[in-house]
Amino acid sequence: MAEVRVQDVATDAATGEWGGGTFPYRVGHRKLGMWLFIMSDSLTFTALLIGYSYVRVASDTWPKPFQFSPSIIFSSLMTLVLLSSSLTMVMAVMAANRRKKRSARRWIIATMFLGSLFVILHGYEWKHLIEDEGVTPSGNQFMLARTYDDSGQVVNERVVHIRPEEASEMETETVNDQGQTVRYVQADRMFGAAFFGITGLHMFHVLTGVLYLGVIAARIKRFTAEDVEVSGLYWHFVDLVWMFVFPLIYLLSVDFTPH
Amino acid sequence: MQQTKGKEKETHLLNLVLTAMAVGSLLLAGYVLATGQFKGGTDDLFLILVCLLAALLFAIVPFMWAYEQGYVTQFLDVGDEGETAAAHAHDAAHEHGITNKQNLVVWGALLVLTAVEVFLAYIQLNLTLMLIIVMGLSIIKAALIMAYFMHLKFERLSFVLTIVPALVVLLCLFAIFFPDSFRLHDLR
Repeated sequence: MAEVRVQDVATDAATGEWGGGTFPYRVGHRKLGMWLFIMSDSLTFTALLIGYSYVRVASDTWPKPFQFSPSIIFSSLMTLVLLSSSLTMVMAVMAANRRKKRSARRWIIATMFLGSLFVILHGYEWKHLIEDEGVTPSGNQFMLARTYDDSGQVVNERVVHIRPEEASEMETETVNDQGQTVRYVQADRMFGAAFFGITGLHMFHVLTGVLYLGVIAARIKRFTAEDVEVSGLYWHFVDLVWMFVFPLIYLLSVDFTPH
Repeated sequence: MQQTKGKEKETHLLNLVLTAMAVGSLLLAGYVLATGQFKGGTDDLFLILVCLLAALLFAIVPFMWAYEQGYVTQFLDVGDEGETAAAHAHDAAHEHGITNKQNLVVWGALLVLTAVEVFLAYIQLNLTLMLIIVMGLSIIKAALIMAYFMHLKFERLSFVLTIVPALVVLLCLFAIFFPDSFRLHDLR
């Protein structure tokens, strides 16, 4: 059984790029483990995002309910908050590397604050969709009001929220002021599942990240700079996923019609 | 020493298989182009893209092996023993080279790219184009975060080459299944 000797690590530079030895990639087992976890988690998110994008593009009746206010403003603000939290996390790692643990703790707490702010803002978005618009994982109360011109082309599409009581009584085809036909069709029921599934999983990751950072911040005296860096990696991964979730879910479903 | 000999054989076999697969991927891309099946539709573009990316990924390990053995530098006829040794030392010495200013610049760039994406949503491009551009921008943002915030730029090349290809494969997955969604519209 070979024991780890100082010489093993020291000769790593001489054994070449893929030498490995007892210190593969010169990265330490904690960091390597976190990176491997990040790779596996990104597979999960990619699977969900691919599934969502596929259904979104293939669907004729996907609702586009995100108006500039409040949805796009909120989600842009959330993106800003998360990016800033990544910045504060980088500052925390740099402080930890310089052995300034108190400073690192403060930066980590700033990161946690921004992360919690993100969750609160997102919760508000969820509340708006669940309570005001009746979106659930299995369905929604959106209807698409499509205005057709004489040749049968769709000239305008609006997302309207029709409560179930009204839905049974409403006309599915009406004529508007300009004499054009307006047809109401139910919006794709996958919207809720996609939205809550993906953003919910992401929110769960943010919450877990905040808890993780909390543990690091609370007992920072016992943790090394490497531990802070590893927690930083997780946090940046969470931010990275949001970089994909935000455009694919929000920006592809913006409501352009004047309300 | 017995071990090294066996390891050499394995290394050669690995390199052989991977080079064959890289060449095979390139040939597949060439076949699609050459037999006139390439009509410029999304299917063909994605298939060619995936073949090229796969060829690149398969070629990494043989290429790195050749570089280590010095074949690449010999071929390019640059530098001498001293330079390759210096390159290794440089790798080892280049630790935490990121400054506060660099952090802020990267953060600023991320904000600007986000603003561009939000702007693009408002000029109402058609869905396909919007999707492609937005994915491209998001990949750039992801690369920035990974390189600077997650420190990959300052890690050893072997580590980067272990992590990044996995994510490239994810993109290939995305690319190869996507044309179906465009088609699904017409199949209904």
